[in-house]
Formats: sequence, C-alpha cells, structure tokens
Amino acid sequence: MIFAGLGGAVMVGAFLEGRFNRTTLIILQWSSVIGGIALATLMGLFGLDPGWQVPLWVAAGIAVVMGGVLGSTMERYLWRPLRRRNVALIQMFIVSIGLALVLRHVLLVLFGANRQRYAGFQVQELVHIGPISMPPRDLVIMAVAVVVLVLVACMLQFTRIGKAMRAVSDNRDLAESSGIDVDRVTLYVWFLGGGLASLGGVLFGLNQVVDYEMGFRLLLLMFAAVILGGLGTAYGAMVGGVAVGLVAMLSTLWFPAQLMQAWALALMILMLLIRPQGLLGRRERVG
Amino acid sequence: MSEGNDGIRPEPEEVPAVAEEAAAVQEHREEVLEQARAEALEVGGPDDYLLLARDLVAGYVPGVNILNGCTLTLTEGEVVAIIGPNGAGKSTLIKTIFGLIPVREGGLTLRGSSIAGLAAHSLVERGVGYVPQTRNVFPSLTIEENLQMGAFLRPKSFSERFEVVAGLFPLLADRRRAKAGSLSGGQRQMVAMGRALMMDPSVLLLDEPTAGLSPIYQEEVFQRVKEVNAAGVSVIMVEQNARRCLQICDRGYVLDQGRNAYTGSGRDLLNDPNVIELYLGTLAKG
Repeated sequence: MIFAGLGGAVMVGAFLEGRFNRTTLIILQWSSVIGGIALATLMGLFGLDPGWQVPLWVAAGIAVVMGGVLGSTMERYLWRPLRRRNVALIQMFIVSIGLALVLRHVLLVLFGANRQRYAGFQVQELVHIGPISMPPRDLVIMAVAVVVLVLVACMLQFTRIGKAMRAVSDNRDLAESSGIDVDRVTLYVWFLGGGLASLGGVLFGLNQVVDYEMGFRLLLLMFAAVILGGLGTAYGAMVGGVAVGLVAMLSTLWFPAQLMQAWALALMILMLLIRPQGLLGRRERVG
Repeated sequence: MSEGNDGIRPEPEEVPAVAEEAAAVQEHREEVLEQARAEALEVGGPDDYLLLARDLVAGYVPGVNILNGCTLTLTEGEVVAIIGPNGAGKSTLIKTIFGLIPVREGGLTLRGSSIAGLAAHSLVERGVGYVPQTRNVFPSLTIEENLQMGAFLRPKSFSERFEVVAGLFPLLADRRRAKAGSLSGGQRQMVAMGRALMMDPSVLLLDEPTAGLSPIYQEEVFQRVKEVNAAGVSVIMVEQNARRCLQICDRGYVLDQGRNAYTGSGRDLLNDPNVIELYLGTLAKG
C-alpha cells in the first residue's frame, strides 16, 4: 500500500514540470528535475555519512536551495544565451538530455552506483486508515505535497509575480511590451522549479531507495503526467500527476507490476488520440 | 533599381507593354521617394515634437534593411496614420520606434531626449504604449489580469487607471473575470488597447488594430481611437484600411520601400491623385 505515497511523489514531480512549463520552454526543464533529484540524493547520502549526519528536514532545506540555485544558474548561463541566439526548442531539448546525462554520471562517479537509503525513517509502524495501510512517512509526503501544491497555486493565482509568470508563459513578447522584465521572471521560475524538483527528490528518496538514476526512472511518468494534463498548464500537470500515479499504482492490483509504467503511458497515448491538448489544455480560439 | 518591385507582376515576354508600364511606375516611385526623403528631412529639431523619428534605418536580418531612411513626427494630441503597400515597412517602423527592433541609423527622440536603443519596458515607463498586430492579449489570463499586466510597473495606480480605461471600454469592466482567450477578435482589440493604456501613456502605437475584424468592429475601433485621442493620448497607427484611417487622422504618412513617399493631412492624402493611383487604388492606369 505504498501507492498513495508514490502517487504523492509522482504528483510533486509532475507538478514541478508544470512549473517549468510556465516559462514556455516546455521540455527543457527535466534536466533540472533530474539535477534537483540528484542533489537531493547527494544530500540524502550526506545524511548517511556518520560524520555528516544532519536532520532530514535540514538536508531537505539545503537541497531545495541548491536545486533552485542549479536551476537559475542553468537559466542564466545556458538557456538564456541559447534563447538569445534563437536556438529552436528541439535543439534545446537535445542539450537538456545531454546535460541530464552528464549530471547523472557525475553523481555516479562521485557516489557510485550503490542503492542507499536515508539513515532514519526506514522502519515504521503502519498506520491503518480504513482499508489502507501505510507508514507515517507516506502520510507526511502526501501532506507536504498537498501543502506545496496549494501554496504554489496560490502564488500563481494571486500574487503579482505569479500573474507575471502566467503572462510570460502566455505571451512572452507581449509581457515584454507591457513592461515586465521577462528575463527576471524566467529566472525566478527556474529557481522555483529547481527548488521544487529538489523537494520532490527528497520526498521520493524518503519513500524509495536513493541512487543516481532515481529521477530517470520517474521521468517518463512525469512526461506522461504533463502531457495528460495539458502541456503548458500548471493545474493540468497536477491533475495529470494524480491520474498517472493512480493508474500506474492501481494497475498492479490486476496486472503484473512490471507493466505499471506501460499503463500510464497507454493512458497518455489514449488522451492524445481523444483530446490532443490534454485534460486542461486550451485550444486557442482563432480570430 | 532592382529592389522593391512589390505589387507589380513582371511578365516581360508575354505582354511587353505591361512590363514597360511597370518600369515606368517603378521609376516614378523612385522619383517620388527621393523627393519625399529630401522634404521629410526638413523637419525641425527634436524639441519641436513629442516624438521624432529621423531618417531611421532598421531591419530584422543583418545586412538587410527594411527601413531605408524613414522620418516621422508626432505632435502632442495628434493622430498620425502610417499607410502603404505590403512590405513597405509600416509595422517595422512602429516596432523600431518601440525598441523591438534596433535602430541601425538615424535618430529617435521622445520629448527631445533620445530613446534609440532603449528596451521596450523602459519605453513603457516613459509613457509609450504599444499594441501589436497579432497575439495582443494574454489568452489564459482574465481581462482584469490582462489590465494588471498593463499596469505591472505601477501596481498602485491600477484601480485608478482601471476606472479610466473602463470608462473608455465598458466591455472590460462588464466582463472583467472572463478569460481573454474566449473573446472575439474585436473584443480582444479592446482588451489590448486597454492594457496599453493602463500606464497612462502619452503616445500610443497601434499596429493594424482593425486587421481581420468585421466592418462593424473596424468602425468601433476607429471610434475608440478617436476617443482615446480625445482623452489626451497621441496616437500613431499603422492601417490597412487606408481610406477610413485617413478620414479620422490628423496627418498621414505613406511609406513605400521603407521610405517616406507622401506626407500630408488626412484629407490631402485622400484627395491626392498620386496617392490614390499608387497606394489607395489599383495600379492600373486609365
């Protein structure tokens, strides 16, 4: 009955993708997601080293900040110069794949391929809620995920910078012409995205084993979630994340667990056939 | 004379007379342009105008100039129209004024101080509003949020400006919670103009505000432009609907091949046989 927990983690991860979509650089973000998760891994490993023991919440805080810094550094020194040179989205996509590969393998070199676990929170008494049993850590993961989702949604919906993020995502040129400093807004989005990705990684690590490829295993599911919900829509990514998480996990009740991801991707393909813009995607009215 | 044969279909082998005629028209255009450029440059200094674009050269691709020496003046309270055939550089001129395209040569001043090379958002701060021709609203934002983005640099003045703008465009207040993406083209144009007016600009740049609209909405847009102007905003507008536009504007510029061809009051241009023949009517000679 871990599925609820993993669902939460997938949800957070997928939601992060949603954040990045606000920049309209739809696909670039995942290297940062990987990077963030990798950094979280790193912090988790620090937690393992007896000389470095820090409480998990401190490690998580550091990881979130580092993820944010990583994200905004990449934006400032890589993606922004590439955008200036009018590099097309598909080329940037390839660059991001390469970058993710490099980051993963740097972690492989630094920490080895061993699977590890956080020092604490491993053995917990199951909590029974109706027919569902789960360890308390999964409850915490879900609670954190929900709180973060609500906070980010409120930020996007009601604050000045959140509205500016949505405006930049909608129409970059017009945002510029309205007096919004588009580059700065984009930088904030990358910081936020990197930080949230790291948080997702920390929570994922709490539930699963930690290794250099943990983000990569989740990646395809995140894509499915984002496309399912509708590319470029923050709330779509949330809904898609929950849907993909539930479908993947519930399928194991009837079908082999090895096919778990396949069902999620089948759902995505089905969605593309029926509603290409995704669940909450918008088809623009013309004229 | 190889450049700019737009609007003329050369069919030299089949109909030599047409080619001859086309060449004659082209030659005439060149003469007009040379003369107009000399005349246009006899404008006053930067301090005499609210906005002065002097002999502007600009373009998108390196080495290719779309504007080849364009001069435009705007005095406080005027509506100035920019008309001309496709590819004449009308939109390029307005984008260059707004800083979206770098100025390669020439001067650009607002109230006497140079604005050449300034980014669009600093022009917004100095009181220049711009409405692009296409994609001129934030579709997934509500009307109210669109207007908030227009007042992004001065969030405190939002409610005060909202009253003013809603007075000009009642639709914006009535449907303030509607998503801009759900509006028709004409309604979007109102949102777009409202957004540009949120910073209380002294100059409003409109790029083909009536393109693709039904005649009723076109007429409404022209009326709104007059009202906006009456409220104290000077307007520069690019228009396809040249006849109607020249009727409401104070002065008009006819551009051709990135240069000034004719300049004058709206009425004069409407009645100028040369303008009618070359740019308002067909190219066919009687």
